[in-house]
Amino acid sequence: MSTDAILTNAPGTGATRAPAPKPVSFRIVPTAFLIVYSLLLALGLGLGSTYWILKGDPPFGSLSLGPWKAWPALGSTSADPYMRAILARRGDVPLAIGEGLGFTATTDSEGRALDSACTYRVGADTPAARLWTLSVYEQDGRLVRTELGRNSFTSAEILRDAQDRFTIALSRSLQDGNWLQLPPTGRFSIVLRLYDTPGAAGTGLTESTFPVIERVECGS
Amino acid sequence: MRGFGRFVIATLCGLVLAAGVHIVSILATPYLAEDDAFAKVQPTLTAEKAQIVSAPGAASTWMPRPDPSVAVAACAFDLRNGPIRVSARTGPNLLSFSFHKKSGGVFFAVTDRAAVRGELEIVTMTARQLDEARAAEDENEPSRDVRIVAPEQQGFVIVRVAAPTPSQRPQAEEAAKAVSCITEHAE
Repeated sequence: MSTDAILTNAPGTGATRAPAPKPVSFRIVPTAFLIVYSLLLALGLGLGSTYWILKGDPPFGSLSLGPWKAWPALGSTSADPYMRAILARRGDVPLAIGEGLGFTATTDSEGRALDSACTYRVGADTPAARLWTLSVYEQDGRLVRTELGRNSFTSAEILRDAQDRFTIALSRSLQDGNWLQLPPTGRFSIVLRLYDTPGAAGTGLTESTFPVIERVECGS
Repeated sequence: MRGFGRFVIATLCGLVLAAGVHIVSILATPYLAEDDAFAKVQPTLTAEKAQIVSAPGAASTWMPRPDPSVAVAACAFDLRNGPIRVSARTGPNLLSFSFHKKSGGVFFAVTDRAAVRGELEIVTMTARQLDEARAAEDENEPSRDVRIVAPEQQGFVIVRVAAPTPSQRPQAEEAAKAVSCITEHAE
């Protein structure tokens, strides 16, 4: 910029030279400032977005069937870099495709967040699998701990009706039939794991074969 | 006006660089994570039997969202010492192996449906070890081992044994602990 000024304004020497240092010194500071600014912006946004992504669920490759959500590629060789990074951060070991598939629900079938102040009814069918388990977790990923000690059902121990359908009641207070006690307060999540299922790759599963999570009532 | 233009360019540069930083940090996370699953199962490197990671009931485990109806055991391997032979006797309940890379990610999984005469046995090796094993093999009597090529030299095997009812939990835990992971040293 300054050489440009000197070349074009060759005749008028004294008048143009005197103010020349001023714009130069004016520019050096902002250039350095702008470089620092863009580097800080890059670090802040780059690492911030990474942190934010790693805290949550994998952004791509999810399979949603009603309230149930799964990431079939998580347990396969085609897991994307986000999935691998999230697994590493969580220290998690996913179910491999050949083993089965885990579905997580954090909302009921109408999309309202699962709240342990409410009573839910889960049923009545699951996709074909050699064994399935349905477990209830607190928000931090630990199993729900209650006086009763039960926090999951498996397909082998559940009570079914004459049509081979089941209903699991989730509530804080005693219910008859298949009952899982909820934690005293807060949100919770339900994980349905299908072991050795033909649908482990996420294909051939339809929402109608999954259990419905119905909110019966809320309060107290 | 000009100062504003330079500011916009600097912001755009910052955004492009931020995308780069984001990609690099996501790709690097599996290698830099100190608290990942491999770090947790690393003490099992020298053990010849799978070690319980999450007993049925999942009372104390580092696994997030453990399944209380499944016994999980692990053995870490380092193929630099030789191929690993993982074997289990299968029972009535579901038993599965999954093979994980050190940097995360499954590279192979199998359930007891693949068992032969009540025995599930997998040999994991590097591509080079596979070549050596093939070269050393007797042509008239080929090996019956199921051989899996591992993409990385280090990793771990996760054994899952289901306990469909609470009364079968001790049995599932025993079955998971009985799985052996033996390094086969080259002759």
